[in-house]
Amino acid sequence: MAAQPAVEAHTAGDDADLVELYYERGFSDGLPVVPPTPAKIDAMLAALGGEPQFLECRVPPRWGGLTREVLAVNLVMAGCLPQHARIVRAALRALCEPAFNLNGVQATTHMAAPLLVVNGPAARAAGMNGGCNAFGSGNRANATIGRAIRLVLLNVGGGWPGELDKATLGHPGKYTYAVCENEALSPFAPYHVEKGFKADDSTVFLMAAEAPHSVTNHVANDAQGILDSICSAMSTFAHNNSVSQGHCAVVIGPEHAATIAKSGWKRADIRNYLWMYSGNTFAEISFNHRYGKVYNRNLPVWYRREPDSRIPIVPSAEHIHLFVIGGEAGRFSAFVPGWGHMTSPVLREIEGASPGSERCVDGTCQL
Amino acid sequence: MHDAIELEGRGVPTAVIVTTEFVREAKVQREALGMPGVIPVVIPHPLSSLTDEEIRSRVAAALPQVLAAWQGKLRDVD
Amino acid sequence: MNKIYDPRGSVAAQTREISPRASSLQGLRLGVLDNTKWNANKLLRALREELAAQHGLKPTGYYRKESFSRFAEPQLLDEIRKQSDLVVTAIGD
Repeated sequence: MAAQPAVEAHTAGDDADLVELYYERGFSDGLPVVPPTPAKIDAMLAALGGEPQFLECRVPPRWGGLTREVLAVNLVMAGCLPQHARIVRAALRALCEPAFNLNGVQATTHMAAPLLVVNGPAARAAGMNGGCNAFGSGNRANATIGRAIRLVLLNVGGGWPGELDKATLGHPGKYTYAVCENEALSPFAPYHVEKGFKADDSTVFLMAAEAPHSVTNHVANDAQGILDSICSAMSTFAHNNSVSQGHCAVVIGPEHAATIAKSGWKRADIRNYLWMYSGNTFAEISFNHRYGKVYNRNLPVWYRREPDSRIPIVPSAEHIHLFVIGGEAGRFSAFVPGWGHMTSPVLREIEGASPGSERCVDGTCQL
Repeated sequence: MHDAIELEGRGVPTAVIVTTEFVREAKVQREALGMPGVIPVVIPHPLSSLTDEEIRSRVAAALPQVLAAWQGKLRDVD
Repeated sequence: MNKIYDPRGSVAAQTREISPRASSLQGLRLGVLDNTKWNANKLLRALREELAAQHGLKPTGYYRKESFSRFAEPQLLDEIRKQSDLVVTAIGD
């Protein structure tokens, strides 16, 4: 691999307004950045293992080279601490794997943004919040880890709105979209354990995602009732999954999770139920052929396409990624639609090892 | 754009059609992918929601540009 | 003295030339690569008919990508190369 050039630095006067200078050069996500200093960059590099010119990945669609030094600069700008650095690196390496199709995710007119869910001890060590207001503001780790990913997608990946990012609308998760699972409050095995990792492994899960859609249910005292509300949120033909399939995420709030667990249901039961009892008819998603005979090549070839055929939201229960996230109080969950079949989520261990094969919980070891 | 560049790299003159909304993206992509000589064929946006009649007008717009692209006579539009 | 760091990383500087152009189109084999986006097939099929009828091109393969947003597989591109002297494709809605 060719040697990577060092980060260019231009001098500015001692009394220069650095925050404004970064704005002027177009290096910001819209919020003020933390001006990098040699000391802060060095601390970040140390957390990444040194070797500033080591190329971690190239970030599409600009295909800029993400060296550790470039990453360190963006981490500092985002407001990260060194203990956040390895999570951000793992997330970016996962995003740059071909399966994710970051090229398309960055360029699409759809609003998708990469959602990061961290599992395992790394989330706790970094101080991430999987509890109260997890998708909201107020936690430095969530805020700056997600922001660092976005800054790299903008600065290195070139995903500038109107240029390489053609999103019609975007969504607020394009500033920051990083959470962890609330493993402590969850009655189920952690997500990464379901997928074959050990509980003390730490993982990043990345999915091109819309914003979370709230699911309220203050009535049901059993699994079925709560999951029927989630099925209702899933069963529209407005989101991309309904017409383009792919993967989606379901976030169960801890109170809902406790009720579901009390019914004796496990992760696989939940995913299978959601898959079985959500969906649309082909008549609905084809508008009854009002605009011409529709086949829809974005659906799997094996789907029946008669008017009454059920069109599932995703092709199988394994395409539903289930997390328990949220605060102790509140009977809420959320549905997080994906972008479609054009992308696959990526789950990777934070230090780069492959999934262990020792344990697979609830009947599946595949993404 | 990526596919067109891969085909050009294999020695096949390739006309790549984009709508006006995606010209900028196509140009940045060809630079990033290291083949600035690929000139896109540009037709009016949109394409996905058109009637058959409207599609015929897009075909008419594309045809001379496609021929020009293969023969090296197409020029960038802004 | 303060410093402003460039956070963008460098882009690979290697550039390649496009393939040699065609001087005459008569009788050349035409391949079509459909990106599978909505209406791309209608546009490309109509173009193919016109190119055959009006300009003497010989349509050969009509190729579809697995997914409109993903890159075409190298094997598919190699196959197109074998069967075509010219290609037309479409991106972007």
